[in-house]
Amino acid sequence: MNQNIEIIVDGQTYEAEENSLLIDLLIKHEIKVPYFCYHESLGADGNCRMCMVEIVGQKRPQIACDTLIKPGMEVHSKGEKIDTVRTNILELELINHPVDCPTCDQAGECSLQDFYMDYGLHTSKINVQEKVTHAKHVDLGANVMLDQERCVLCARCTRFTDKITHSHELGIIGRGDDARVSTMPGRPLSNPYAMNVVDLCPVGALTSKDFRFHQRVWFLKSAEAICQGCSTGCNIYIDHNKPKYRDDTVYRFRPRRNDAVNGFFICDDGRLSYKALEENRQRQTLLEGQEIETDAACSHLKALVQQHQGNITVIIDANLYTEEITALLVYAETIKAEVTAPLEFYNDANFEDDLLKSAQCAANYQSVLDLNLSTQAPDKKGLIINFNYPEQFHADTVVSFNTHQGAQASLIFPIASYSENSGTLTNKDGLEQFSKKAVTKNSPSPTILEWLERLKQ
Amino acid sequence: MSFTFTPENIKTIAKLKTRYPKPQALSLPCLWMAQYQEGFISIDAIDVIAEVTETPAMEIYRVATFYSMFHLQPITKKRVMVCKTLSCKLCGSEEILAHLSKREDVLVEEVECLGSCGSAPVMQIDDLYYEDLTTQKVDAVLEQL
Repeated sequence: MNQNIEIIVDGQTYEAEENSLLIDLLIKHEIKVPYFCYHESLGADGNCRMCMVEIVGQKRPQIACDTLIKPGMEVHSKGEKIDTVRTNILELELINHPVDCPTCDQAGECSLQDFYMDYGLHTSKINVQEKVTHAKHVDLGANVMLDQERCVLCARCTRFTDKITHSHELGIIGRGDDARVSTMPGRPLSNPYAMNVVDLCPVGALTSKDFRFHQRVWFLKSAEAICQGCSTGCNIYIDHNKPKYRDDTVYRFRPRRNDAVNGFFICDDGRLSYKALEENRQRQTLLEGQEIETDAACSHLKALVQQHQGNITVIIDANLYTEEITALLVYAETIKAEVTAPLEFYNDANFEDDLLKSAQCAANYQSVLDLNLSTQAPDKKGLIINFNYPEQFHADTVVSFNTHQGAQASLIFPIASYSENSGTLTNKDGLEQFSKKAVTKNSPSPTILEWLERLKQ
Repeated sequence: MSFTFTPENIKTIAKLKTRYPKPQALSLPCLWMAQYQEGFISIDAIDVIAEVTETPAMEIYRVATFYSMFHLQPITKKRVMVCKTLSCKLCGSEEILAHLSKREDVLVEEVECLGSCGSAPVMQIDDLYYEDLTTQKVDAVLEQL
């Protein structure tokens, strides 16, 4: 175990572990240092040379990502000398950059753009009449598009396929100003985590085919949520926006760092699961296929409950928030119904892998187990009240609360999806995580808790 | 896979393997062998080399694209490499180059220093150097090929 020592950065004393990376300390304490190639999950590579800092006693500036912290170290992260060095390096990066920010999807979250505002803002000394051109629209596969001209060759994407997925699809080929990221001929990017390279890419070279050209990033609002693809409970940002004259819409999911759960990444299935969220939503309250008033529907349900006294089963979906499950247990008790939360539907051994994906494809699977709920199919065939469980059951009467269309029930209530609602989920390791509400629709569907409140009256 | 090393090459690989601490070090020798054997380096050959060197195929592909002396496509014309560095330039390589570029039966490439400054200007065809070049000498050399 390395000792904790003190070092000085810009005149301030910081405590750090001996022989840890200097850049980690700078990032941790939010000391501004520009970098392209370094990434906490991929380690130091030292190829972009942007993170230059001055270390007292050393002749030349050093890169912070490859400098180990030693006792008595004194570091300057800013100053005229360092700024000049960074400006010069940035100038080299920009020689062949197409500067097509107005049409680039990364604009607004681009490191190159940010660093230019910090260290550029000058007329370049280098006067290149014709820039080196490369392919602008390379479909790498797996929803990832590559613009080789925008690339700064930081090698984050290639290191991701080497070190994280071990699938080795990407590499930097050629050399000099001909060097570019590429796949091998006929071997596209194909791994279930491929789209993470889009987040890793510090510039606009790798963009998501799914998200590009749909929305400018500065219009998006982010909500801290939990992915509901499986029981791993990866932390995500739900990026959404309400464009003029339109409804609040989710545009993408992005991984949110949580070292205890998913690190920096999410799987592509989870990332793209936002699409299913918006499609085929149940919006109307239906009685035998005809739209009815919500109050009438509530009284109808109450009458049904009266009618089937002692012969009622409440089915709970394992994707519901813990707060909702608990409220449903209380509700079931008041109407003297049996409760079951079938899990069979959610077991998918093919989905599981060593990285993040879990075979239990429901977000609150663990909660159902923790609460000791019955997971059997319902045996009472009087009245079934199904709370968003996707399989259909047959009974004398079926009432269904659904986020999406497709339920076969005589009475259907629309409910808010998880992006329109907040609550707690317990992941497979027993970690309780809170997922915040992201989307507010123009005419929102009530949440389960709101429906239960109405049924009480 | 349609590529296999010849028995002699397989023997050479086995011999070379004992020389290096890691099989990855065989990447360049194997690439050379493949190129001599087929005239270019096919993707199939890269896969075989990846297996021999216990290295991802992408790594071998990167090495093959990095060095300009490796070809990833079959070459139909004779490849003539003309040195473009100082001594050769001073001794008239530009004239040689201009002369060569008029011919359509050869593929002319400018390459970095061939390390034979004493006999500049120099060109290389396959593994042979042709030195102290004049335009007449160039024609004579290409005639004989």
